[in-house]
Amino acid sequence: MNKITIPIGPHHPLLKEPLSMKIDIAGERVLGASLRLGYVHRGIEKLALERTYVQDVHLIERICGICSHVHTTTFCLAVEALLGIEVPPRAQYIRALMCELERVHSHLLWLGILAKHVGLETVFMHTWHDRELALDIMEGVSGGRVSHAANQIGGVRFDLSEEQEAMIRENVEKLKTQVGGVLDVIENEPALRARTQGVAPVSVELIKDYCVVGPVARASGVDIDLRRDDPWPPYDQLDFKVITLPDGDAWARTLIRALETRESLRLCETIMHKMPDGPVTVRAPRKVPEGEVVTRSEAPRGEVVYYLRSNGSDKPARLKVRTPTLAVLSLLPEQLSAIHVADIPVVLAGIDLCIACADR
Amino acid sequence: MQFIKGLFFLLIFPGLSFQVVCGLAFEWIDRKLLARFQRRVGPPWYQPLADLIKLFSKEDIMPEGAYDLVETLLPLISLSAVLTAGLYIPIAGFTPFSFEGDLIVIQFLMSVPTLAYYLAGIASVGIYSLLGGGRSLLQFFSYEVPLLITISGPAVMAGSWSIAEISRSQLDQGPFIVFQPLGFILAVVGLIGKLKRDPLDIPSASSEVVGGSLTEFTGAKLGFWHLVMNIQAVVGIFLLANLYLGWSNITSPLPAIGIFVLECLAVVVVLSATSAVFARLRIDQLAGIGWKILVPLSLLQLGFVILMGV
Repeated sequence: MNKITIPIGPHHPLLKEPLSMKIDIAGERVLGASLRLGYVHRGIEKLALERTYVQDVHLIERICGICSHVHTTTFCLAVEALLGIEVPPRAQYIRALMCELERVHSHLLWLGILAKHVGLETVFMHTWHDRELALDIMEGVSGGRVSHAANQIGGVRFDLSEEQEAMIRENVEKLKTQVGGVLDVIENEPALRARTQGVAPVSVELIKDYCVVGPVARASGVDIDLRRDDPWPPYDQLDFKVITLPDGDAWARTLIRALETRESLRLCETIMHKMPDGPVTVRAPRKVPEGEVVTRSEAPRGEVVYYLRSNGSDKPARLKVRTPTLAVLSLLPEQLSAIHVADIPVVLAGIDLCIACADR
Repeated sequence: MQFIKGLFFLLIFPGLSFQVVCGLAFEWIDRKLLARFQRRVGPPWYQPLADLIKLFSKEDIMPEGAYDLVETLLPLISLSAVLTAGLYIPIAGFTPFSFEGDLIVIQFLMSVPTLAYYLAGIASVGIYSLLGGGRSLLQFFSYEVPLLITISGPAVMAGSWSIAEISRSQLDQGPFIVFQPLGFILAVVGLIGKLKRDPLDIPSASSEVVGGSLTEFTGAKLGFWHLVMNIQAVVGIFLLANLYLGWSNITSPLPAIGIFVLECLAVVVVLSATSAVFARLRIDQLAGIGWKILVPLSLLQLGFVILMGV
């Protein structure tokens, strides 16, 4: 059969963010793929050097439209480490709560997109409906559904009132029921299983070769989670399970996100239960002493690394961000070979790309 | 007089106007039901009509190198094929053109849009159209054989190849769905395949081949294609209601119409619910299921019917 090349992207119904792929196919078989990136490069790392640390928190929030909070958290952790200030415990817990809610809404969003790509639009509608509960919480406490502006250097910008805490508990409870239903569908819907089981399996060796992190690595049986391995406060005081699955195929990647969502909701409850009293912020000086620091945290898609160098002024001298999507992207051509054309959306959705994060 | 009567049949009932209205009504009911299954509100009743008017008022663009005449003719040929098929289907027992063997003719006419869909993909030169066209032909070979075997079940049971006769004989024997539940399920699967509906919308899966064969179509041509799909669905639903549910042949017209409408709505609910709860299959999976599961099952059903008649 003749080889033809189909373009997927930069604009294609499959993609929510611009990414260009040229996929070689023969009939219904995929032979190989090549990638082109950089369509949403905004020069944020350079831009951050032109602004003060206080302004940078808001700039960095715009790196990603889904995991915005974890980016600012990692950045604030870096600046706070250079400043040598201790964030009050209540602020740490509120940060962790937002991180977990972000994981919940990111995973639910992703589950919906996978379902839509395999033609199961009902699950898409339902998960996105449930996701609103998590977004409601975040909007209720911070005022923003997606960009929460929760973090500032030295703490968080808002405190939780008693009504807000009650609302959070109620919504988390509702979400737990809904996620249970979604899990039921994923485990039992025969067509979904037929479409994802055994598709594009990724071995542990491949994961290690490409330094893949996050749920994709855990679905292949690699037991890594920064919340446990290198915890930032308050995760060292929290108890939770790190979920791994052995299969490494698209179905495992689907299931693990549903299971992680459930675990995150449980963690939200623990956080609400353990929430200490006290102030939510300390005063931080505007000028940061000379030095360099690397901080890491676990975003919904895996490890986020920030490198920050300060020259003693109120602006950073160098900021470098490494997002989990970059590693997964390099794995993509490897996965996009010897599969069916119909599996392309499953593979693409399975690794949960965040192009805006990767391009910055 | 004969001429005016013929014209009435062709243009008003059960021809063009009636079928277009039914097609639009079907699209609305289907979309509304699907929306309710998915916790959405769904469109207002005039949405399908508004969509159609909008499509017809849009500019008609074809890519360079596409065969414009072919691309114009294909939706029109398909439309006339499904409209002709609609003429032979008894509606609540009313059938002006019924003859022995019209079941076969309808099957043939209903396949014309699928072949036209394939040709549309080939003729519009886009890569996605090409893929979608190829897939539609593969899908055709997977569902058509079991569908043909399955719908010969009611024909064998009634001892006639005329749909009106099959429908009438159910008054004495009882609805055929009672004797051939498996056959009804297989026929629904075949119909879903024929209509390229979710979960068998493999040729037009947006996340894989964008719009399938119709990717390059715009304006009135696309509008005609949408009309073809809707009328094809209506004819298919009428066919299933006649073949398996029967009972709409009682002599008093008003209850007959009521029963027929309810039967058709029941089939629509089945179609919408199926598209809401199943994920799309892969083309190789469909071919496997078609030949390894659907064909043996339909033969089993047919054998059962023949044995019952002996």
